Amino acid sequence: MASRLLWASKAASYLKISTFNRGFASVVKDLKYAESHEWVKVKGNSATVGITDHAQDHLGDVVYVELPEVGATVTQGSSFGAVESVKATSDINSPVSGKVVEVNEELSSSPGLVNGSPYENGWIIKVEISDTNEVSSLMDCEQYSKFCEEEDNH
Amino acid sequence: MIVASNSCLSCLIPPWTIRSNSGQISTSRRASASQITITESNSLVQQTNKRRCKCYDMYKEAVPFAEAWAWQKSIVEERKSLIDRNEDDLDTLIVLQHQPVYTLGTASSENNLNFDIKDPPLPIYQTERGGEVTYHGPGQLLLYPIMNLRFQKMDLHWYLRALEEVVIRVLFSTFSLKASRVEGLTGVWVGDKKLAAIGIRVSKWLTYHGLALNVSTDLSPFSGIIPCGIKDLGVGSIKELLRGSSRPSSTSSDHDDGDGKLIDIAHESLLKEFCEVFQLELCHQSVSILRYPDK
Repeated sequence: MASRLLWASKAASYLKISTFNRGFASVVKDLKYAESHEWVKVKGNSATVGITDHAQDHLGDVVYVELPEVGATVTQGSSFGAVESVKATSDINSPVSGKVVEVNEELSSSPGLVNGSPYENGWIIKVEISDTNEVSSLMDCEQYSKFCEEEDNH
Repeated sequence: MIVASNSCLSCLIPPWTIRSNSGQISTSRRASASQITITESNSLVQQTNKRRCKCYDMYKEAVPFAEAWAWQKSIVEERKSLIDRNEDDLDTLIVLQHQPVYTLGTASSENNLNFDIKDPPLPIYQTERGGEVTYHGPGQLLLYPIMNLRFQKMDLHWYLRALEEVVIRVLFSTFSLKASRVEGLTGVWVGDKKLAAIGIRVSKWLTYHGLALNVSTDLSPFSGIIPCGIKDLGVGSIKELLRGSSRPSSTSSDHDDGDGKLIDIAHESLLKEFCEVFQLELCHQSVSILRYPDK
C-alpha cells in the first residue's frame, strides 16, 4: 500500500500535475453514503439515490446520465447506470438492493442537475428496498466526509 | 483558432533514452473461429521498482472490433472479481488495430453521423465508453489500458491527461511533431487536426477503452461522421503531417511499405512513453488469434 502511494504521488509530480484543493464537498446529514460515492435517502422501504457532491465535483460537467428502466432490479454495490463527463463514462452503483420505481427523467434533458443539485433535483432513481438491513453497512455523513478526505490524499 | 495547452504539462519535453522491454510477442493465425485465446508466457522480467503490467500486443493485427470489445469486457470482469477480493495486482494493456468500424459512446448523438444509423456504410457499435462517434481502421494504433486507478491516482481527469501525455510525448520525441491539448476537448491535436481520440469507461476505479492514434490511417471514413462531435476541426494522421498537409490525405492506394515502418516506430514509441508516464514495466503475453471461416 505504501509503495502504491509513493508511486501515485511520484507519477503525479513526475507529470507536474497540480492536485488543486477543491475544498470540502458538501454532505447532507440524514443521508447514507456508499464508498463508490452515491448517497441514499431512506424512508421506510423507499429510497432515493444520487451521486454525492464529492463525486460530481471530481467528475466535472456531467453531459449524460444513463438511467435504468423502471421495474429493473438493483443490487447493493452493483452498477445500475452511468454518468458521462468529458470522454469518461463512470458506473453508478446502487447503495441498496430492490426495484427501481422511478427514474429522474429530467436528467435526460438536463444532466447538469447532477452537478448543480446533487442531493435535490439531481436525484437519479427511487428504489423500493428489498432488504433494509443493508442500509446499516453504509456510512453516515461524518464517516463519508472522512472517507473522501482519505481517498483524496491517496 | 487558439490552441491552448491544458494544465502545466508542457509538450516540449526532451526525448528520454529508450529502455527496452523484456519479453516476446508472438501471434499465430490459424483457420479457426473468431476467438482470442491467451497463453501466458514466462517472460523474463527485469527486477525494477516499477509496477508490472500485462501487455497483449497485436499491433500489426486489424482485429474486428466486436472481438476486441468482448475480450476487453471479459478481462474487466476478471479484474473486478480480483478487486472485490482485494487481490488485484497487475494492470493490463491491449495494443492492436481494428478493421474499419464506427463506434459511438454512451451519449453519442445521431446528429454526428452523416448517414442513416440503420444503414451504415461500415459496422457501427454503441459502446459504454465516454465520448462521441469515431472511426477506427487499419493504420490507427489503439491502446486499451485496463488500469486500476488505485494503483495510480484516483482522478479521472488526471488519467485522461496522462493518456494525452503519452501521445504528446510520442509525437514530439519520435516524430518531432509539436502536439497539444485543447481545453475542454479531450484528445491530442497538432495544429487544428486531431491525431488521437480518447474515450474511457470507469467502473470502481477500473478503466477500460482508451486511445486511438492515427498513424497511417486512411482518413476518408472520417468524412462519414462529425468526429467526436467537433464540427470546426479536422482529423489528421502522423503520415499526413510528415508528408506535408498540401498533399491530399492518404487513400488506400497510397499504402506502401513505409506505412508498416511508421506503425512499427509509432508502436515502439507508444509502449515506451506509456511505461514512462504510468511508471510501468510491461510483461508481454503471447496471444493466439484463432479464426474460423464464416459459417
